[in-house]
Amino acid sequence: MNRSLESPPQAFSTDPWKTRIDRAFARALLIPLAVSIGLLALLLGDTVYRSFSVQVVRADEGPGKTYPFGLSANEILRQELLARGYTEEEISSSLQDPTERRVLLLQNRVELMWNTQDGPFRYVVTGLRDERVEDFSLAEGLRRWNELKANLGEGERLVLNPWLDQSFLTRPPSRSPLTAGIGVAIWGTAWVLSLALLIAIPVGVGTAILLEEYLREGTLNRILEVNLRNLAGVPSIVYGLLGLALFVREFGLGPSILAAALTLGLLGIPVIVVTSREALRAVPESLRQAAFALGATRRQVVFRVVVPAALPGMVTGVILSAARLIGEAAPPLLVGAAAYVPFFPNGPMSEYTVVPVQIYLWVSMNIPEFSRVAAAGILVMLAMLSGLYLMALYLRNRFRREW
Amino acid sequence: MEILKQRPSRNPKEVLTFVLLVSLSSVTLLTTLGVILSLVGDVVQFFRRVPLLEFLLAPEWTPLFAEPRYGIAPLIAGTFLVTAIALLVAIPLGLSLAIYLAEYASGSTRPRIKGTLELFEGIPTVVFGYFALLFVTPLLQWAIPDLNIFNPLSAGLVMGFAIIPYVSNVAADAMESVPRSIREAAYALGARPYEVALRVVFPAAISGIIAAIILATSRAIGETMIVAIAAGQRPTLTLDPRETIATMTSYIVQAATGDQPTGSTAFYALFAVGFTLFLLTLLLNILAQWVVERYRERYE
Amino acid sequence: MVSLELLKDHETVRSAPVTEAEALVDVRRLNLWYGKKQALYDISVRFPRNQITAIIGPSGCGKSTLLRSLNRMNDLVPGVRVEGEVLYEGVNIYDPRVDPVAVRRQIGMVFQKPNPFPKTIFENVAFGLRLMGFKGSELEDRVVEALKRAALWNEVQDRFRKESGLRLSGGQQQRLCIARAIAVEPPLLLMDEPTSALDPIATQAIEDLITGLKQHYTVVIVTHNMQQAARVSDRTLFMHLGVLVEEGPTELIFTKPKHPYTEAYITGRFG
Ligand SMILES: Nc1ncnc2c1ncn2[C@@H]1O[C@H](COP(=O)(O)OP(=O)(O)O)[C@@H](O)[C@H]1O
Ligand SMILES: [Mg+2]
Repeated sequence: MNRSLESPPQAFSTDPWKTRIDRAFARALLIPLAVSIGLLALLLGDTVYRSFSVQVVRADEGPGKTYPFGLSANEILRQELLARGYTEEEISSSLQDPTERRVLLLQNRVELMWNTQDGPFRYVVTGLRDERVEDFSLAEGLRRWNELKANLGEGERLVLNPWLDQSFLTRPPSRSPLTAGIGVAIWGTAWVLSLALLIAIPVGVGTAILLEEYLREGTLNRILEVNLRNLAGVPSIVYGLLGLALFVREFGLGPSILAAALTLGLLGIPVIVVTSREALRAVPESLRQAAFALGATRRQVVFRVVVPAALPGMVTGVILSAARLIGEAAPPLLVGAAAYVPFFPNGPMSEYTVVPVQIYLWVSMNIPEFSRVAAAGILVMLAMLSGLYLMALYLRNRFRREW
Repeated sequence: MEILKQRPSRNPKEVLTFVLLVSLSSVTLLTTLGVILSLVGDVVQFFRRVPLLEFLLAPEWTPLFAEPRYGIAPLIAGTFLVTAIALLVAIPLGLSLAIYLAEYASGSTRPRIKGTLELFEGIPTVVFGYFALLFVTPLLQWAIPDLNIFNPLSAGLVMGFAIIPYVSNVAADAMESVPRSIREAAYALGARPYEVALRVVFPAAISGIIAAIILATSRAIGETMIVAIAAGQRPTLTLDPRETIATMTSYIVQAATGDQPTGSTAFYALFAVGFTLFLLTLLLNILAQWVVERYRERYE
Repeated sequence: MVSLELLKDHETVRSAPVTEAEALVDVRRLNLWYGKKQALYDISVRFPRNQITAIIGPSGCGKSTLLRSLNRMNDLVPGVRVEGEVLYEGVNIYDPRVDPVAVRRQIGMVFQKPNPFPKTIFENVAFGLRLMGFKGSELEDRVVEALKRAALWNEVQDRFRKESGLRLSGGQQQRLCIARAIAVEPPLLLMDEPTSALDPIATQAIEDLITGLKQHYTVVIVTHNMQQAARVSDRTLFMHLGVLVEEGPTELIFTKPKHPYTEAYITGRFG
């Protein structure tokens, strides 16, 4: 359609179709964002939903009793053991000995259930060999609550089980979903992450300083830059293979925390370099000039003026890269986190597992209740990440400078 | 004069600092060297036992069978399948978002959208794998009855969403770096916003956009946990998205978590696959950089 | 130095005013704000058909702002507010029923720095025509015609289909932008310091071109080069601090400025 070029200015009127296309286009562009956010909400909702279930559990020993809210763990254990037929003396002697008490608590998990056959918010004691009779999704379990309650057999209890609870956070993994916990994995993550950052921070920050403050151009700069750009594109699983071949086998570290930390440390370097360089670049040139003009040497300018000024940005970058490392499953999987590790780590040479690997193992067991344990694990991991992101956000806003 | 004799480069503290920084940064070079050396050693071992032709041409990957075959083709096919599905999702969605970010988002919404995307990027891929296996697959099975529990379709779809930020961030950066003056020229000629976006900015940023897609491809190829969880670990030479498959990455996870005796051919095969993966992603990254350099528009 | 008080009532000094019949564009009491900051104060002025009007004044006085008000380019700046009218052929382009896009299609614009699209020379010139629906041989003819009028044809005729507009020299790029603007035959052509980024030889070529454009187009040109205003324009507007201080035939403005500010500026005492 050729609009005549000589048309009178009345032709300034709107072409309704084009305007509509324009508006529709702008809206259509936002669909992916809406879909992504929707998906994220779905993912979270599904995970939370799956981390609850309604269960009928048959106690291995004892009557399948529930205990009222407000009792201490000791008191609950005492009553439970009494119900199992132990004598008062046996019970109080094992509860007084700290080691025996810990073993008791490991074997018998005292959990607060949101609902039970005896009413809401009561404690149950779950033993290692307790058996699940049935496991229902939240919706079905609640719908059939009364029916299930009526049909409870001898020694069975009906509970609305929040898989994510306090004892889940502190317990070691277990072959039974009912007693599986993420405690060992959290400690493993803490160990591996701290050691990894111990490697990644000096190397990453040092490289950033070298590139931004000492060698803004030249051959070495180019080599480092190109190398970093390519390293950043190497899939994390390849770092895992590096760790397996080099640290686990060649250096003879075995499947240890140290091997995993070295691997993740290398993986974290490119991210820290990039964020630290950004922070250094944000420091205005005039600040450096001012320091030089006062007769400072390059080292003094860099470490007394530039680095302190860039510190908040660098710290934010380190936190963000820590968040990324926490979620990495493939490299630790390859350097030996896959094993069943029932013990809390006690040093860099310990066997270990980390949170994302533990989640992967639970998911890949392909047993419905373990997927619920995995959901609880995911919520824990997401909470850890949110904490880090909030910290980064806080730092970013708190120390934002307008130069 | 005394003052002129103090050469700064001779000051021991200065020199020491510089040397320290250089040695710290050399760790990044050593990492690359380590990756290559550690892989190459075992890859050489592998090819002592398995002919290269077998690796490249055999149609089966069955290292643990009594008569093992070591053809990489099924793993490549699986990787290709998942990657293609992921890109089918990520390219249109990621590019739309990029256009919105660069052309429509106001100064205050842009950081908010980017923040949301960062959030997406920050979600560990195990979580996406879990979601694919336990939520998306059942949903898809309802629509496609003969879909396997482990299938590249659901893994690819979810991975597509996971890599949207890689597409949209790089592409948006490319479009944002198209100078404002060019947009003004188009507006002054009576172009509408969508015409400016599609006819001027998009083509002007095309090298960056292609680079974004290549980088996202490289990410998809190297992505591990989603496929390990949801696509399965059975190497199958097929392009049928309903079948269980294995990708290079999911095979590595499977082999590394199983018990392969160190020194067995199957063990070295792990590194052969890893090296192939490494080469492929490295080539894609270099290609992306080359595209950006070669086809960048140079404005005044 | 003259006192700021003189600008207070925003009264413009006019010589040989343009009649309503001669005017292609009639600006009436135009005020413009960028957010809270007012950039134009009560501007009233007429731009006569087939003549070249120059806008001069110290930098930051609102020359570009006034120019960009004439084709509603300022609408693209967030937070802009406009009061008053700009009548184009008797129609107020700020009428809410008017589509700014339609306005820009009829009014061409050339910018301070050459800004060719990263496309071939041909596609640069064809861009506006394509937006209007031109295709095939008619499109080609008009592209060639525009390149000829912009005095670029001789230099690019053997390569204009393949070569990127960005590969041309600065002066050629600016002529390409002029060709691009005039390809759609806009009755009105706005130019914002079109030669400020060019060397003297390229400037000379563009100035010759502008003088020639008069036959077909009405031109409004912003410049802070007073010799240029004197050489190419028929009428001149002098602005200061967002106020239109004086306007009239170029000769008069440059030889007998009435307002002390104008005189100070012309004689180089400020700006
Ligand atoms: N996009 C904008 N946002 C805010 N203020 C602006 C903008 N563009 C111009 N201004 C202000 O408006 C005034 C006039 O600017 P301008 O029209 O560009 O002046 P000139 O072209 O005469 O140099 C200046 O004070 C300038 O700072
Ligand atoms: Mg200007």
